[in-house]
Amino acid sequence: MEHIEADILIIGAGGAGLRAAIAAAEAAPGLSIALVSKVYPMRSHTVAAEGGSAGVLQDSDSLQAHFDDTVSGGDWLCEQDVVEYFVEHCTPEMIQLEHWGCPWSRKPDGDIAVRRFGGMKIARTWFAADRTGFHILHTLYQTSMKYPSIKRLDEFFCTDLLVDDGRAQGAVFLSLATGEFTAVTARAVIIATGGAGRVYPQNTNGGIVTGDGMALAFRHGVPLRDMEFMQYHPTCMPGSGVLFTEGARGEGGFLRNKDGYRYLQDYGLGPALPEVRNKYMELGPRDRISQAFWHEERKGRTIETAHGDAVLLDLTHLGRDKILERLPQIYDLAKDYMGVDAAEQPIPVRPAVHYTMGGILVDGRTAAPLPGLYAAGECSSVGIHGANRLGSNSLAELSVFGRVAGEQAAAFAQDSSNGDKGRLLDQARAAEGRALALLNRQGKGERHAALRDEMTAAMERGCGIYRLGDETQQTCDTLADLKKRYADVTLDDHTRVWNTDWTTAIELGFQLDVAEVIAYSALERKESRGAHQRLDGYENRDDERYLAHSLAHYRDGAAPEITYAPVSITKSPPGQRAYGEAGVKLEEAKAHKHD
Amino acid sequence: MSERRPYVRPMPRDWWARWPFRHYTVRELSGVTIAIYAAVLLSGLVALLQGPAAWDAWRGWLASPASLVLHGALLIAMLWHVRTWFQILPKTMPKLILGGTPVPQRTITLIGTSVAVICSSALVAFVLWRPF
Amino acid sequence: MTERADKTIELRVLRYNPVTDEKPHHQSFTVPYTSDMSVLQGLQWIKDTIDGSLTYRWSCRMAICGSCGMMINAEPKLACHTLLRDLAPGPVTVEPLNHFPIERDLVVTVDDFVKKIESVTPWLIPKHPKPVSEGPYNQTPAQMAAYENFSACINCMLCYAACPQYGENPKFIGPAAMAILQRYDGDSRDGGSALRIDAVHGEDGVWGCTAVGACSDVCPKAVDPMHAVNQNKMNTALDYFLRFLKKRDTK
Repeated sequence: MEHIEADILIIGAGGAGLRAAIAAAEAAPGLSIALVSKVYPMRSHTVAAEGGSAGVLQDSDSLQAHFDDTVSGGDWLCEQDVVEYFVEHCTPEMIQLEHWGCPWSRKPDGDIAVRRFGGMKIARTWFAADRTGFHILHTLYQTSMKYPSIKRLDEFFCTDLLVDDGRAQGAVFLSLATGEFTAVTARAVIIATGGAGRVYPQNTNGGIVTGDGMALAFRHGVPLRDMEFMQYHPTCMPGSGVLFTEGARGEGGFLRNKDGYRYLQDYGLGPALPEVRNKYMELGPRDRISQAFWHEERKGRTIETAHGDAVLLDLTHLGRDKILERLPQIYDLAKDYMGVDAAEQPIPVRPAVHYTMGGILVDGRTAAPLPGLYAAGECSSVGIHGANRLGSNSLAELSVFGRVAGEQAAAFAQDSSNGDKGRLLDQARAAEGRALALLNRQGKGERHAALRDEMTAAMERGCGIYRLGDETQQTCDTLADLKKRYADVTLDDHTRVWNTDWTTAIELGFQLDVAEVIAYSALERKESRGAHQRLDGYENRDDERYLAHSLAHYRDGAAPEITYAPVSITKSPPGQRAYGEAGVKLEEAKAHKHD
Repeated sequence: MSERRPYVRPMPRDWWARWPFRHYTVRELSGVTIAIYAAVLLSGLVALLQGPAAWDAWRGWLASPASLVLHGALLIAMLWHVRTWFQILPKTMPKLILGGTPVPQRTITLIGTSVAVICSSALVAFVLWRPF
Repeated sequence: MTERADKTIELRVLRYNPVTDEKPHHQSFTVPYTSDMSVLQGLQWIKDTIDGSLTYRWSCRMAICGSCGMMINAEPKLACHTLLRDLAPGPVTVEPLNHFPIERDLVVTVDDFVKKIESVTPWLIPKHPKPVSEGPYNQTPAQMAAYENFSACINCMLCYAACPQYGENPKFIGPAAMAILQRYDGDSRDGGSALRIDAVHGEDGVWGCTAVGACSDVCPKAVDPMHAVNQNKMNTALDYFLRFLKKRDTK
């Protein structure tokens, strides 16, 4: 087996991984950095983010306002000390990206423009048309080429972490091109592998978003936190789940039901003003808007499409010029895939799974409980999203905490010594053996694609927009059954070079572990909060018992154990979450109290 | 060791004769007409130097059916070349930005082609009517 | 309610496994499809239900990650962005991108392309460096328009598969790398064009281009790499001439 020795290993080269690599290279130019990804960096799913990235910019805005929106948007399940750090560092990170060339959209005078976004009280979303993630990713990717200490291994698929002497010290990779294994050992390891949305059937995520890093850390005893909170994005393409950015509503788009009625006014987000306003109607938070869809569907007020019910995203009143300037990509998506000219007709949309709020447990400086291990971006749970992430906080998160992870890992690597190479390579060979056992398993087992379809269907049924205890329990049972059957799947392809039958099967193993964590975390949380809504007697938020993070712990051969940990509350005690007019009244009442 | 063995497909020698490159090939070949027409003019110049007899013979050849067919063909090829020349003009010049937005390439082609048509027509009119 | 896949279409896919095959060969699959299915979804159906060994790259499904470029009926296309209904009644020929070595089935070698991008110094070299604390640079919409389309390149490599000159000479820097170079050279914040000019010179630089224009025709993001290449022909000529003058001055 090939062995590469580095000082810092970064698994995943999307936005967070690249930002971490650059930060580490700048913080400690003498350290060697191995940046390893199962795809070329520009294919990472950061590329698909559309709407924008938050950062306080306008004079009328404040860090306190960004903090308040984030914490109430997260239904008070946020780590408030971490949110404070986050909002302070968003804008400098956006400026840093600008200095590296990110083509932020501008006002006519050449200053940065910001757009409105859901759940944000004031416009603070930096954007590059509706291809913000694409531009951030390519800016970081190209900037990373500047640093000779960053050595990339592209299309190297991680099959296991190397943990010895109580700390993370590397990982084992399968090179797609050769089918051979490589061990990379390092004194600090950063996981930046993104989310796990592909465990659901309809999702906005790319095929690579399979929760690899979450499962790897979990299997090595690192808890996954708040995994029951899966975000449904309310405006996606029926069938494929491809995303239509929230920026479409930020620019003034309306949501209508089959009667042309702006139905969100019936769900505590009104009144329906003729123009969109921050935190009203279409600019409410994603959880509320997706939940409103669920109710409209049951009332029979949605339209039918070939891929299930849909409501209408109406941009026609914006005019063709504005659509083409601000939302060119979604205009093309609607036209090319659905045959809808968004300037003339409304676009049929429905909710689809978009974002994994939870993830690998890390502290406010991205350190996992396992020494030497760091995590950043969607795979991590640094604590800023709580029970519901606000749109445009995730690109900001990967910038802010990607940098933190790079700096922290560099400091850790400088202060620690190399581990026992012999023992690490023994572990690596054992991991290789396990992967090869799957490759070489003979007989006529089931196809892993069939198992995947059963898994995604079970997740939608038991861990969807609304959850019922007994349905969630059924999902847990189905997943246990699938895990058993997974142990016997066989591949069509037993050769080594570019065997994606093999890597997809390994990914399914990761997905089953993560899916089970989501299902058990959902089953145990007997309340409704943010993106986790129950209809079986637990319809309300229960701060007494559940103002707490769920932690899922790995148990070999058994269901995960769920425990709870306190939430850090610094300056915002849990309050009522209100939007639209109700939100304004609530703020007025609060202001009165302070007078 | 690794079983990786990338397979390199040969580039067909006659790619230029195949779809979708035929358009390009015709465009480039139509440029040769300029050289051919220059040769015709040059031969006229040589004939002029050689004296009146040679000059008259050259003029006679110009009026022959073979010459007329050649000139007709050269004219068609030249018009085609002009058309395609202006089609790629916007891609070979620096970006033209007016009032904050790039001028559409079709507009540049249209203006260029129009100017060429107007100038050529004026020249033809001048030659036919000889105002001076 | 879900539309039934009652129509079928034949996909003729070029297969190559270096472990078992001497050279590539075609294999036909009959794929049921609905009106909104892409070629990528057709391939996924084959991989999921008939032959798990079929190999291709894919991820985003929305024409932005650039993974799934392939030759579809001899044209370079993104498989996720090409709908089967537009190719009916078929058959549809699906092959790996032209001009690149085949690693396996529809997967081609990308390393050389990535090296080309790295060779053009593809990062911003500030004309007036300043710290983050001094805020963003100003850039008017007109200044942005000078490079914006070149910054939209998704690295899908369709332009290289369309370019016969790259097919003839794999050392030719090629369209996308030049678009990325021009993306920085044309940026009002950048002052690094002198560092990038070496990548532009010579037969392996812009002069390898004969203005075929196929690169811009096939680009799924309207980047217009042909424009970037040909703008740089002028830059390299000018640079050559100026260097010549400078040398004479110093003598």
